[in-house]
Amino acid sequence: MTMIDIEDKPSSLWRDAWRRLKRNKLAVAGLAIIAALVIVSVFGPWLSPYDFLSQNLDLRNQPPSSQHWLGTDDLGRDVMSRLIYGARTAFMVAVGVTIIAVLIGVILGAIAGFYGGWFDRFVMWFTDITMSVPQLLLVVVINASLKQPISLWMEARYMETLNPIYRNTQIVDFVLVFGAMALITWPPYARLVRAQVLSVRQRPYVTAARALGLTNRLILTRYVLPNAMGPLIVAVSAGLGTAMVLESAFSFLGVGVTPPTPSWGNMISDGLRVWTNYPHLLAAPAAVLAVVTVAFNFLGDGLNDALNPKGQK
Amino acid sequence: MTLLDIKGLTIDIARDTGPARVVDGIDLAVMEGESLGIVGESGCGKSLTMLSLVGLLPNRIRATGGQALFGGRDLLKLSAKELRKVRGSEIGFIFQDPMTSLNPVIRIGDQIAEALIYQKGLTRAQAKDRAVELLALVGIPAPEERANAWPHELSGGMRQRVMIAMGLAGNPKLLIADEPTTALDVTIQAQIVDLVRELKDRLKMSVVWITHDLALIAGLADRIAVLYAGTVVEDAPVDAIFDRPTHPYTRALLGSLPTLAGAAMERLPSIAGTPPEPGRRPPGCPFAPRCAFALPSCREAVPKLQSVPGNARHKVACPVMLEANV
Repeated sequence: MTMIDIEDKPSSLWRDAWRRLKRNKLAVAGLAIIAALVIVSVFGPWLSPYDFLSQNLDLRNQPPSSQHWLGTDDLGRDVMSRLIYGARTAFMVAVGVTIIAVLIGVILGAIAGFYGGWFDRFVMWFTDITMSVPQLLLVVVINASLKQPISLWMEARYMETLNPIYRNTQIVDFVLVFGAMALITWPPYARLVRAQVLSVRQRPYVTAARALGLTNRLILTRYVLPNAMGPLIVAVSAGLGTAMVLESAFSFLGVGVTPPTPSWGNMISDGLRVWTNYPHLLAAPAAVLAVVTVAFNFLGDGLNDALNPKGQK
Repeated sequence: MTLLDIKGLTIDIARDTGPARVVDGIDLAVMEGESLGIVGESGCGKSLTMLSLVGLLPNRIRATGGQALFGGRDLLKLSAKELRKVRGSEIGFIFQDPMTSLNPVIRIGDQIAEALIYQKGLTRAQAKDRAVELLALVGIPAPEERANAWPHELSGGMRQRVMIAMGLAGNPKLLIADEPTTALDVTIQAQIVDLVRELKDRLKMSVVWITHDLALIAGLADRIAVLYAGTVVEDAPVDAIFDRPTHPYTRALLGSLPTLAGAAMERLPSIAGTPPEPGRRPPGCPFAPRCAFALPSCREAVPKLQSVPGNARHKVACPVMLEANV
């Protein structure tokens, strides 16, 4: 009988993945940039040199200087402060949207893949339809049709209760932006999870669990889903970057976060109008967006290799 | 006392071209405390027969006829919910591949405990204690420590012991072992066979051992049923199978076993041809096309299982050999 060393440290599955991830320099760089983004978003108000809203009309469209490291915009607002505050928007949107989309995708995809039948056909039909509608169009439609009714309802609630929370336009913004973006980003997650569940449910340990008389729900949540998560983690990492780009794209087109709340997208949009004269107004937010997006993709690739060691070489 | 009585079981695969019959009228009984070996080539329907009892047939494969009486009920007529209660607590399973039959993300102790919580309604603490007991029962050294091990930390033989512990967790009356040693080394195979035999006597349960290795179960089974193309061709006590194999297929199987005395022989004899595919089985005896003794009459009627003169428990589905009385 072979004696096996029992290590008392938990799950070496994840430890091994972490060890492999650490060896990948690009992934570590991506992780560092993302960590920096998280810190900046959380501690933004304490880090930014100026208030992101305070205007200084004497100092409009300044080039970078020692007072304003990244210059000022057309209203004399400090670009760096706005970028820092925009990181908060970008991060919140990316995380919020991804959480909602992943929840929808995991629930629908797992049930569809595990139980099959009419629900599976319905979910697949629904994802196909959602994916076939042009994303931008859908978001514009949602924004155009829902923004006013929600704002009016909020205003009415404010008149009733005088609770200032109903006057906060940021809430409407985020609900609409999050909702609309989650609505267009969930289908790939649902498909991915369904495909994974379809393959995992054929594994011998699932049959063994059935033979033990475990309930379907338990088999799905303890046996199938945990073993189907690897590719989802990779997809989420890349999806966070995609959600940030999407938010910027919508803000750029004016259907994202409403000004004056800074978002990298509407900063790019504003900068684009004057870029021939003041290129730094476009360059700063565009560069930050590009770097962060690339960081998420590096991390995603690194996770992919770390979680699927067989796929390497 | 008969524990399990399968009568005229048929199983079909739904194909685009129509149903194809895989199991064609199997009659098989398991007595209390008995161990039955089921032997046959791949695809003869031995695993499907057992999986059909507890509703674990793969998609598109259905039991379409017959009965399977177990504890006064027909298993084939139970609802999915009732079958789930039979699984694990009345009929336990051990599967072929221990390397992939354990969930890689749950510690083995928890995996056994989980089954107990749901089958027996134990609390988590009780279930954990019982899991350690079960690990000790199947001969795992230092069971308390091993309960915290992850499946990948154990060797194949150890994992198969864990699978057996899981199969036994619900105190089943019948343990079905579906080729549990195929993926293991020869020395470990013998250990597992010994373990199951010992546990069978200790826990007073019946065992059905599915295999294609006749030599392996010679030391374990009380009785052996030989399956060919979805039918039972010979069903006899284990010594009768080895001393007086009657069906030409059984003889051919035994003839292709390697022996020490035959080491000088150049080649091991094999059976010419391949078994018929489901849905393309010939009329009459399914083995006739490969049989050295086949008569024209063999290709007309499907032979029924009949007792060999002088031994009512030795049944053969071959009128030719019975008449020749060899």
